[in-house]
Amino acid sequence: MHSLGQQTSGEPQTISSSADEDSKLVAAILLKDRKATAEFVARYADDLYSYVRSRLAPRYDQVEDLVQEVFLTAWQSLSQYRGTGSLQAWVTGIARHKVEDYYRARLRMPESIEDADQGPATSSLVSNFHELLEQDQLRKNTWRVLAGLSEQHRLALIWRYWDKASAREMALKTGKTEKAIERLLARARAEFRERWTHGQSS
Amino acid sequence: MANLPDEKFIERIADGIELMEPEAAPTRLKAKVYSALMQQQAKRSPLLSLTEISARGQKLCVFEKLVQIAPVGESAKSLNICRVCHARVLAEHMENPPIYWSGCPYVELKNS
Repeated sequence: MHSLGQQTSGEPQTISSSADEDSKLVAAILLKDRKATAEFVARYADDLYSYVRSRLAPRYDQVEDLVQEVFLTAWQSLSQYRGTGSLQAWVTGIARHKVEDYYRARLRMPESIEDADQGPATSSLVSNFHELLEQDQLRKNTWRVLAGLSEQHRLALIWRYWDKASAREMALKTGKTEKAIERLLARARAEFRERWTHGQSS
Repeated sequence: MANLPDEKFIERIADGIELMEPEAAPTRLKAKVYSALMQQQAKRSPLLSLTEISARGQKLCVFEKLVQIAPVGESAKSLNICRVCHARVLAEHMENPPIYWSGCPYVELKNS
């Protein structure tokens, strides 16, 4: 097990850990070794924060609460960790479920256009896609467009196209019909496309 | 891209772009998460005592060391003493708290 006390600030934020180290860390946490718990937080906080933040953006106000919930759930379920995959993957799986719970709650609410148009301005006309193949620029454009969508459209698109949930799965989890989800996605896609292509002002 | 239907258009973008960008969690958040975990753990049953932690080769902070060598029972050494430490308060409220002593979990989280 890596000892937290032996780490230096210059080390990478994500510490690759072997299955043996993971098992030792889990065993120590279950024994209520406070140093092991601190190491658990130090190891995974940055990755979980990045993941949750990317899924909730630009609504950052709930990111910290959700990250804390992920850790508390992980600790409460830690005795169920079997070591068949990495601890990092296991913890990330819990984060995915928490984010899905968030999507579910938000998408169950009646669709509103109140929160649309509050994001930063969309990029100007994209005349040539190849000019934007630079990943960083493309990511920024994607975020600009997503940020300009209503929250329901944004979350629906991220859930469907980035987190790869099927419309059927989304319908089951939100209590909506598959058709309603398809309609929501169609509107969201059209809005995304419109903003991507013509900018927010059109 | 311009001729693609909406669904294919967004699929192409989603497949090529990972939305997540690495970003360090705020120190305050790490401290709060650690405090919450310790509180939950201590609520259910005593923590592993400082004597046992020391025996496992883990470094104790100066305050933990004082409690560990004090002539008190093991139950006192199993308490969540960080709960009454100013380092915890500072770490939970400041992004760069003025805490420096080695072995303190909040200092280690700040440096992680």
